[in-house]
Amino acid sequence: MRRPLVLLAPLLLLWALVAVLNDALSELRVYVFAGGLFVAYAALHQPPRAGLAAVMLAGLICDANAPITFGTHLLLFAAGHVTLFHLRERLPREDNIAAVVVVLFTNLTLFLVFSFTQIHASPAPAAVWPRLLSDLLWSQIFLTLVTPWFFALQAGALALARLPREDTV
Amino acid sequence: MRFKRLDQARPFVTLAVIVVAWLLVPVGVKAILRVSFFELTAPVTLAASRVRDLQEFWSLRLHSKDDLIAAGRDLARLNASYELGVQRNTELQAEIARLETLLRLPSFTNYRYEHARVARRDFSGWWQRIVIRKGRNYGIPVGAPVVFTGGVVGRVTEVHAATAVVELISSPNVRLAGVVEGDTRPISFQGGVNPTFAPPTGVVEFVPLDIVASPAAPKRLVTSGFGGVFPPGLMIGTITRASMGGDGLFQSGEVKLDERLGSLAEVTVLVPL
Repeated sequence: MRRPLVLLAPLLLLWALVAVLNDALSELRVYVFAGGLFVAYAALHQPPRAGLAAVMLAGLICDANAPITFGTHLLLFAAGHVTLFHLRERLPREDNIAAVVVVLFTNLTLFLVFSFTQIHASPAPAAVWPRLLSDLLWSQIFLTLVTPWFFALQAGALALARLPREDTV
Repeated sequence: MRFKRLDQARPFVTLAVIVVAWLLVPVGVKAILRVSFFELTAPVTLAASRVRDLQEFWSLRLHSKDDLIAAGRDLARLNASYELGVQRNTELQAEIARLETLLRLPSFTNYRYEHARVARRDFSGWWQRIVIRKGRNYGIPVGAPVVFTGGVVGRVTEVHAATAVVELISSPNVRLAGVVEGDTRPISFQGGVNPTFAPPTGVVEFVPLDIVASPAAPKRLVTSGFGGVFPPGLMIGTITRASMGGDGLFQSGEVKLDERLGSLAEVTVLVPL
C-alpha cells in the first residue's frame, strides 16, 4: 500500500510542474504533454501491481483537470504501463539514454492516441494537426531534458521511504 | 510453452479486466471521483498562483517612487474620464428603464460583477480553459459568462469549493450566437484552431451573403444577447474572412480572437441576479 503512494507523490509533483509550465507557455500557444513520463518509471522498474496503481491514480488526477470523459487518461496510462511492462525484460532498463528513448516513444504513442480521441470536437480537424505536432515536438524536447532527473527523483522518493528501488518481486 | 504464453498475456488480461471494471463503475461514482481528484489538486493550483502573485508583488516593489507617482497621475486622469462615463451610463440606464416601462418591454438580465484572479491557464490544441480563484465560496454559478477588457472570455463550466473552471471562447467546445456590429441577424460562432505563436481563432457559420469581410476590411463580431447567457454587444473577435459555404445559402468564415486570451491574469464573472 505504501509503494503506490510513494510512487504517486513524484507523479503529483510532475503534474504540478507541467501545469505551471503550460500556464507560462499559454501566451505562446505552446502546450507540453508528459504522459510518457507518468508511465515509464513505474512500468520499467516497479512491481506490476504497485506501479499500475500509481499510474492509474496519476491518470485520475490528469482526468479531473481536463474537460474529457473521466477515465481517458486512466485507461491510456494503464495501457501504456501494461505494454511497457510486457516489454521491459527486452529493454536496457539501467541505461539513461534507453530510458529517455522509451519515454519518448511512449509519449509519442499516448499523444497520438489521445489526439485521435479528442480531435472530433474541432470544427476543422485537419487544420489542428500542425498545432498538435508542434506541441508534440515541444513535449519531446521537454521530456528529453527532464527524464533522467525525474527517474532519479522517483528512485530518491523510494529510498526516502526505505523501500527497495527495483522490482525484486 | 502454453503456460509461458498465458503468463506473458497476463498483463493484457489485467488491462482488459481494468477496462471492463471501469466501464461498469456507475456514473455517479465517477462524478464523485472527478470532483474529489480536482479538489485534491486545487491547493497545488492555488499555491502556485499565490506564489506568482507574490513574485509580481516583489518585482513591482522594485519600481522607483518616481514611477509610482507617474502611474498615480495617469490613473487619476483615467479615473476622471471614467467618472464621466459612469454619469453618462447612469443617465442611459434611467432612459432604458423609462422606455421599458413605456413600451412594456422585458428588462435585460442584471448581473453582479465578480472579479477573479486566474490561477491556471490551460491552452492546448485540444481545449482552452482557465481556472479562476473563486468558486462556490463566492456564489459563482455554472454557465455564467466571463468577460475581460477585450470582450468575452468564455463560460463557467465547472464550479468547485474555491475555484471555477472557465472554458475559453477559443475552445472548440464553445459555441455561441453572435452578430456583426450594426446588424441584427444571428451568426453561429465556434472556437477553432489555435496555432502556435499566433493569435487564437474561431469559426463562424450562417453568415448572411451580403456581409463582406476580409483581412483588409474585417468586421467586428459581438454577442447577440440571444439565449440569455451573454449580454448583447460584447466583443467576441473580428471576422477576417468570409466565403461561400457548401450550401450556397450562407457564408462561413474565420474569426481572429483577442491575443490576450492566452495571458489573462484577471477576469470578471457576470453572475445573474
